Amino acid sequence: MGKKARRKKIHQQAVWPRVVNLEERAQVLSFWEERFGIPKETFDPYLLLSTAKNYWLFATPPELKPLQSLRVQTVGLLFTRKVSHYLKPTTTAIQRFGHLATKNVVKLSFGELDRLRRERKLAYETDLSEGYVIISCEGKIWGCGLYLPGRLISYLP
Amino acid sequence: MVTLAEAPAYFSRYQEIIPDFEGFLAHLKRDLPLYFRLNTLKCRDPELVIKGLERQGAKVCPVPQIPHFYRVEPKNFPLGNTEEYYLGYIYPMTLNSALPVLALDPKPGEFILDLCAAPGSKTTLIAQATDDRAIIVANDRRLDRLTALVANLKRLGIACALTTVYRGEEFPHGVPFDKILVDAPCSGEGRYRQGYEGELLYQKEGHTNLPAIQKGLLIRAFDLVRPGGVVVYSTCTINPDENEMVVDYLLRKRQGRLLACKYPQPSHPGITEWEGRVLHPDLEKAARFFPHETESVGFFIAKIERLI
Repeated sequence: MGKKARRKKIHQQAVWPRVVNLEERAQVLSFWEERFGIPKETFDPYLLLSTAKNYWLFATPPELKPLQSLRVQTVGLLFTRKVSHYLKPTTTAIQRFGHLATKNVVKLSFGELDRLRRERKLAYETDLSEGYVIISCEGKIWGCGLYLPGRLISYLP
Repeated sequence: MVTLAEAPAYFSRYQEIIPDFEGFLAHLKRDLPLYFRLNTLKCRDPELVIKGLERQGAKVCPVPQIPHFYRVEPKNFPLGNTEEYYLGYIYPMTLNSALPVLALDPKPGEFILDLCAAPGSKTTLIAQATDDRAIIVANDRRLDRLTALVANLKRLGIACALTTVYRGEEFPHGVPFDKILVDAPCSGEGRYRQGYEGELLYQKEGHTNLPAIQKGLLIRAFDLVRPGGVVVYSTCTINPDENEMVVDYLLRKRQGRLLACKYPQPSHPGITEWEGRVLHPDLEKAARFFPHETESVGFFIAKIERLI
């Protein structure tokens, strides 16, 4: 008898993420503005939604209510994670909006990027402030890193 | 499974509707060209991608008739293993796959349902065409296929789509969709060529009645779209039983009309008679695309407006 194919199960209790209030939205978008210089207005065309530990961007629909009747699996783009008391930008969001950043962008050579991807950290000196940085290489935005004095830690997937 | 030697006999049923039938048979022996779409949501500078791929040994040329599409040589170049793919700058897809989206003509702010969306080439093109501003419901009945769709949405950085896992025929009412794309499961005859190892779907499954599934999907899509809205029905097969006959069934059951469309690829009108049966005259406004005339997968597209 052949093996029965293993099938993933649909999440029947899937519920719509919550639309965040203005105060929470301002808090999340301020993080992007303060850390990377990406203006809050960049995200005006999008709703900010929240699940337990994540924030999601979703294009603002003419009406949200009809969509909320659907049993959804995912909604929009994973934007920011809540990590302990901090906010962490996601790779997806950085790759999409990182080109608009005006600060805390680390430009690596191809060799440095290759080492960072393999070894997950790199001895690195810069005058940037501690915290999450956008990693770019030869004009391409790769994702997120964490800069601590003297070293760069990879959050690239 | 049909072998290349059996192809003339297999396709002889379509001899009347395939132009230059000998040319079509000869074309089955050749590989299709390799194309990709530039994802302008993430990459605004095509040179970044072109130079990157050329450094890896590919030759890249823009396709003049379809914006953001590029042809790649050699045909076996591993696009899926490149950093341009990994970063979501490109989506490898065949040229004619873009045509149903051109027929749909999506606009920012519209509610759009992609009923059979996985793995997401058309969903992501709709998002790109509306600068990530349409509201796309990307549905697929199979969760394993949805995983690929979600991965592609993530890779391409799309924020205007949500995903659902409903049987298309049972997709719930309640959202006032402006436009719906039904890129229906089909026998895939338009993809058939030498070296293709997959069996034709309806032969493989034996009991799968594809036209019945396609009719169910199209009727449901029509009932879901708002009056005045548009449903685009497409398949990558030549078989009229899965194309004109399905649309004819809809036009006899519901109040709709076909809309003519201009395409950037050579096409032929839909047929209005098949195996002695006269079909709805509107079907000549549907379009058929053949592999040997388009250097791509064979396609059928019908754009239908809901009247009431």
